[in-house]
Amino acid sequence: MEIELQEIRDFIAAIPPFDRLPENVLDILTSALSIQYVRRGGNIPIEKDSAPTLHILRQGAIALYSGKDNLMGMLGEGDVCTSFCAAEVMPDFYVKATEDTLLYSIPCDKLSRLVEDDQSVLHFIRHSAAQRLKEAVSNMQEQSSSNLLHTYAGDICRGELITATPDTSIQDGARLMTEHGVSSLILMQDNDPVGLITDRDIRQRCVATGLGVDTPMAEIMTGNIISLGASESLFDALLLMTHKQVHHLPVFDDSGLKGIITTTDIMRQEGLSTVHLTGTIRKAESLQALIEASKMLPRIQLQLTTMGADLRHVGYAVTAVTGAITRRLIELAEADLGTAPVPWAWIAAGSQARREQTCHSDQDNGLIISDKMQPGDDAWFASMAKYVNDGLNACGYIYCPGDIMASNPKWRQPATVWQGYFEQWIEQPEPMALMLSSIFFDLRVIHGKEKLLNRIRENILRKAPKNQLFLAHMTRNSLTHRPPLGFFRDFVLVHDGQHDDTLDLKHSGLVPIIDMARIYSLAEGLKEISTEDRLRAAAGTPSLSKGGSANLLDAFEFISNLRLEHQATQIREGESPDNFMSPKQLSKLEREHLKDAFKVVQTMQATLEMRYQTDRI
Amino acid sequence: MLNWPFNLEGKRRRLLNKAPAGPLRDYLEQPFPDRNSCISDAALLAMDFETSGLDTKKDHLLSVGHVELQHNRILLDTAHHQIIRSTRDISGGNVGIHHITHDRTALGQALPQVVESILQQLRGKVLLAHHAAVEIGFLQQACTNIYGMAPVIPAIDTMQLARQRLERRQQPCKPNQLRLFNLRKQYGLPAYQAHNALMDAIATAELFLAQLAHGNYRKPPPLKYFLLRP
Repeated sequence: MEIELQEIRDFIAAIPPFDRLPENVLDILTSALSIQYVRRGGNIPIEKDSAPTLHILRQGAIALYSGKDNLMGMLGEGDVCTSFCAAEVMPDFYVKATEDTLLYSIPCDKLSRLVEDDQSVLHFIRHSAAQRLKEAVSNMQEQSSSNLLHTYAGDICRGELITATPDTSIQDGARLMTEHGVSSLILMQDNDPVGLITDRDIRQRCVATGLGVDTPMAEIMTGNIISLGASESLFDALLLMTHKQVHHLPVFDDSGLKGIITTTDIMRQEGLSTVHLTGTIRKAESLQALIEASKMLPRIQLQLTTMGADLRHVGYAVTAVTGAITRRLIELAEADLGTAPVPWAWIAAGSQARREQTCHSDQDNGLIISDKMQPGDDAWFASMAKYVNDGLNACGYIYCPGDIMASNPKWRQPATVWQGYFEQWIEQPEPMALMLSSIFFDLRVIHGKEKLLNRIRENILRKAPKNQLFLAHMTRNSLTHRPPLGFFRDFVLVHDGQHDDTLDLKHSGLVPIIDMARIYSLAEGLKEISTEDRLRAAAGTPSLSKGGSANLLDAFEFISNLRLEHQATQIREGESPDNFMSPKQLSKLEREHLKDAFKVVQTMQATLEMRYQTDRI
Repeated sequence: MLNWPFNLEGKRRRLLNKAPAGPLRDYLEQPFPDRNSCISDAALLAMDFETSGLDTKKDHLLSVGHVELQHNRILLDTAHHQIIRSTRDISGGNVGIHHITHDRTALGQALPQVVESILQQLRGKVLLAHHAAVEIGFLQQACTNIYGMAPVIPAIDTMQLARQRLERRQQPCKPNQLRLFNLRKQYGLPAYQAHNALMDAIATAELFLAQLAHGNYRKPPPLKYFLLRP
């Protein structure tokens, strides 16, 4: 290479994966480039039937499409376009310059020969950003060494399956359990399981109540069996136990009942305490006891993360604990205040509703009160709300900075008023109002009458899809959070004096995905609440292609796992967990994957922006 | 005057008969690209000279950079840069601009070898330069000094193309508007930091590709549309 070409070489040398190449290879690579200019609106490649080529954008921008108007990606200065590296490009695929563009191009066979010693560069050439991200995610899953995730229910419920018929007496059943050293029995009728009996049932429902031991077990059995498929992981088992507050789960496979797994089985696999924590919370007699219990949360999150749990598991576990604390606080308030004058529903909004909480989340909640409410009734609800909000704050769920809490009269209203809020938001959207209230489009009842929310929810899901202006405003609001990617694929770091030189993984990575998932589900009238469920449910609808859904799911998983790991490190070091991660904490490869994830988000935001023409509102 | 480019081929043949054996004759022996052939099929050599001044008689060449264009691509594997050894004093401010000092010019190649190499590169190609009068003038002067006669050089001048574009649109030409840097900016081309003969040759070649892309041609235009008129 002529030394005078150094400026071009330096440009290439700053772009991953070429930044890994030694100087002599970079020199040869620079000499092997050809330079092309594409006018805005022009096609790439310029000539048809070109040999597989890799393009580096020196200046300008290009858009990648699959089929008419289906935008798949956008690339800018410093980006690498690997779309034409394969001998056969997808039939409907085309690329257009969206600005006047200067390309540095190199035939792939030449490049492959040049970098043949560097697997990661070769790999890069052969894979698109989306594919690379997918692989990074699956690598991450492989590396995680959790027994719970990789042990299946069917694998540990081995041994003899002990069953009896429902008409067996309690005494005979107890004898059977003792003989076989088991803590539960499945009751079978004509080869079908009809009930479950546990040690505890015999103690609580027979011995404690003085029921005769010759009573048939049918009298005290749990008829509505909560069960698990043999192919589900122990993690799923744990979540189900935590959620349903049971300690025994019958396991079924295609041929029928396979066995029972118990909390003890799971504890044996991993020392884990979520189930016990929620149990402790349910029994807590004072706020002080709840505060003590809530201090366990960071440790549980750390434990789950260390075991390789992803956001679905951690979020579910943390949210289950938050729900238990909230319910217990409400019960304690009721013990003090007496019964509520009219029916009500305590609703959680935001991450708690989506079951995506991590242990430092703040609280977002409200109260839907029955329309039967009388003018004097609010005093009761105001006291209850204050007690619960204060209690949650004391338990580490800090007060909502936006005052979205049941103690705020605005968010403690009869169902009709709530109905009116949503109608106004949807039918006469105002940007500021929507920005504050978009949190209420993720709602779940934590305690009280589910029905109060259901009617409101049905109404939202019916009206939202038809209202394009509302969706456009939601989209525009969501675009206030953008991935922190600048020119040259560099991260744009936070500079607020408090978290300098970090990336805000939550607001610049997760929130955009959460917001988009909400918009897809509102546009399609989907009832799903969690981000991952929404992205899965919206896949293949007019709002979201299957590919787009898969890419966003990967990006969401990748970024949220990074955040969990970051928080795990902080918890381990005794710091309070936050969302600000320094790129220096990441390996070079992780940095690239994170950029890929941000790129996916950027692309999907651009698609949404185009769909709702947000520049016109 | 207008038919000057028409006579390039004839002039080449006339000069060939008089040319002494050697590099100049070799250059003239190769026919020029067909003026009716498509521009993207013609072989172009983008070239830039750094000189000690603008007077072809008094000033002299300091360095040369060139790179080939084929099928609308700039081929960096053909990029070449050469510093020219000078026995004369370097005077004037240009030294500062081009960062070429006495020590470096002393390391360069002697002018006859450089000219020989340029003529060899230019065989069968069209010269592409920004304000091509400098490159043509200095090259012809060097040939006259070395071989006793100057060759004819078919050329495309990106500055002239830019001026013609303005004239066609009847827009006034602002001072400095036709400078390479400003024209590149207008076409969204990057501002290169380095100013050496090779990067300037590449910058010129990129400008030409941009001019071509923005030409709004319905079909691929022939070479003759672009050839320099004196």
